[in-house]
Amino acid sequence: MTTTPPDPLLPRDHATVPVVLSARGLTKTYDATHALADLSLDLRAGESVAVMGPSGGGKTTLLHCLAGIITPDAGQVVLHTGRGTTDIARLSDGERSALRRSTFGFVFQQGLLIPELTALENVAVALMLLGVDRAGAEHSAAQWLAALGLGGMEDRRTGQLSGGQAQRVAIARAQVTGAAVIFADEPTGALDSGTSAEVMDLLLRSTTGTGKTLVVVTHDDDVARRCARTVRLRDGRIVSDSLHAGAAA
Amino acid sequence: MSAAPVIPAPSAVATPSRVSLRVPLRLAWMLARPTATGLSAVALPITAFALVTALLLTVVAGGLSFLRWQDETGQLYLALAAIATALLVVPLITLGGSAARLSARRRDERLATLRLLGAPASTVAVMTVAESMMLAAVGALVGILGHLLLMPLVQLIPFRGEPLGGSVWMGPATVALVATGVVVLAAVSAALGLRKIVISPLGVRTRQEAPKLHWLRAVVAVAVVSGVAMVMGTLGSAGDFAVVVVVLGVGFAGALGVLNLAGPWLIGVVARRQVRSAGTPERLLAARQVLDSPKDAWRQVSGVAMTSFVAVFGGTGAALMSAAGPLEGSERFLGDDVRTGVLITIVASFLMVACSVGVTQSSLLLDRRDLYVSLDRLGMPVGTVNAARSRAVMVPLLVVSVGSALAAVVVVLPLAGLALIFAPLSVAVILGCLAGGVGLVVLGLRATRPVLAHILRTPASAL
Ligand SMILES: Nc1ncnc2c1ncn2[C@@H]1O[C@H](COP(=O)(O)OP(=O)(O)OP(=O)(O)O)[C@@H](O)[C@H]1O
Ligand SMILES: [Mg+2]
Repeated sequence: MTTTPPDPLLPRDHATVPVVLSARGLTKTYDATHALADLSLDLRAGESVAVMGPSGGGKTTLLHCLAGIITPDAGQVVLHTGRGTTDIARLSDGERSALRRSTFGFVFQQGLLIPELTALENVAVALMLLGVDRAGAEHSAAQWLAALGLGGMEDRRTGQLSGGQAQRVAIARAQVTGAAVIFADEPTGALDSGTSAEVMDLLLRSTTGTGKTLVVVTHDDDVARRCARTVRLRDGRIVSDSLHAGAAA
Repeated sequence: MSAAPVIPAPSAVATPSRVSLRVPLRLAWMLARPTATGLSAVALPITAFALVTALLLTVVAGGLSFLRWQDETGQLYLALAAIATALLVVPLITLGGSAARLSARRRDERLATLRLLGAPASTVAVMTVAESMMLAAVGALVGILGHLLLMPLVQLIPFRGEPLGGSVWMGPATVALVATGVVVLAAVSAALGLRKIVISPLGVRTRQEAPKLHWLRAVVAVAVVSGVAMVMGTLGSAGDFAVVVVVLGVGFAGALGVLNLAGPWLIGVVARRQVRSAGTPERLLAARQVLDSPKDAWRQVSGVAMTSFVAVFGGTGAALMSAAGPLEGSERFLGDDVRTGVLITIVASFLMVACSVGVTQSSLLLDRRDLYVSLDRLGMPVGTVNAARSRAVMVPLLVVSVGSALAAVVVVLPLAGLALIFAPLSVAVILGCLAGGVGLVVLGLRATRPVLAHILRTPASAL
């Protein structure tokens, strides 16, 4: 739960890696808009997937369906864990909420940290929501902050952090629970290119580097190039899905 | 648009003031439509203004009915009614300010768009004030209805030994005057509240560190309270009723000022302790939120401090007067009547505090909608969020009401002791009212749950 991220794993043979999250026939319609149109996708353990495509292509909608934030009109999202398989689309609101705090992690475009809390508390709260006591939660949180290069900034509040630092706190918060899949919707969208590269590097090393799965929605080719796989969406469908060799993971 | 005419349109030249007002008014109307932000965000301020108007009308009506007494005691009654009305004006202004802030928040996103489209800051200001006035006007109309419905009950309230009866009816002109007063107050407090909004359009606090309030506040408070208590002590045996009233008045004012000084400090101290000991997310969130701005937390519940204070002060006075045995002549009913007045003031100001809590909490929710949506996505249960919001109000509320009631008791200790012995019933009634008031605030908080539910159902697409 609290291990510091080791060096990136070497690329493995893709098809033999177990599937963590499997979407089948996802459809989501808003009024006349087909945000998702019969979309299927498998996410494997330890892989990093960049989701790209034009604005309005359905990237955020896909992410939200995969993460159980919204439910699709049709189709299923099956989560495979050590404890068995679950169709997320069939769970109740409360069950999906519980799943999100235990099994998934999220990084938003702006850190969206709780402004009154310190950096340490922001990370620790994620664990406290799972019932970990305050001292234990803060201990793990401190380790994650240190691993992400934020040692000594535990007591700072959001207003005292730069955009990149806040984003690193958000990364720590997403992972401190040992989440199996991390979802990030344009996590570097508000950062300059240098900071963006640093944040992506940390995000990749701390997720895929430890066998976690990372899904990143991005408009940035540099960000996508760092991922092992790129899925392109248009009008709610996958128009291309490619693995690239020589990526970071 | 792009083809700029050499000569401006005549109407724009001839009536610039009409143009500059009409556009924002129409925009305000467009943006005020409830569809965009959920009904509760509109219903809350309207309910609040309706309640305020009904209460104010009723209190003023009661006060004016005292005019029919021409004797000296009648003057005393008028003075007491004026004090009660003045006490209600403070929570009224707080409420007006929070309603203005709420109406500005509701439209933040659209306002930002408008500004991008080139609407000047003054347009935004006029719109906010106009919308508050509209909500206040609708609320005032509902309030007048409520006042009329209340009348049969109000007529039954006895003063000076007989029910108020028909004397409590006011002419339509007076009613209109009071209602207009409410609308004007709404406009003024909206304009004042706007300064804050314009400074921080996003409303999200970016302050670097939680402010620390100086402990000297507490020292001054304790000094003043014990000073007043000592004066009261020497006075306890004084027989002259007039002297007692004067000293009570001075002590009341002084102690109230002290409460304002010490209240935020005390709330901050309690919150700091709670931050350290918090073991659950909701406790941590609530304590941090209070600690972030003890002054805001105080402002939200300070109406209760005043009421608790009035309750103990007035209640003691009333109990004493009743217990002192029958006063002679026209002052015969003074004790009972003061208690009646105190009860009415307590109920009225608690109603306003409850409204004000509801309205303030709604604007806080809308202020931080992105944050709450993101917490929901992280899997924070709605129950945790609500528990944290609730604690952030209730803990300061309890600190404040217990603290100020205690301060009042210290100040009137010699007298209060007597009151407890001679008139336990009035003391019990007043305590019961305070408990009921706390219950009202809980209701005000509950009324904001639909706002959170609405925010989570329709998250901003930007996220
Ligand atoms: N809550 C909603 N209500 C109505 N329509 C929606 C909603 N959410 C998404 N849509 C529509 O669904 C389509 C896909 O939206 P989505 O947010 O998934 O796009 P995106 O690929 O993330 O775009 P961007 O790159 O701009 O973030 C769009 O046409 C959008 O307007
Ligand atoms: Mg998107």
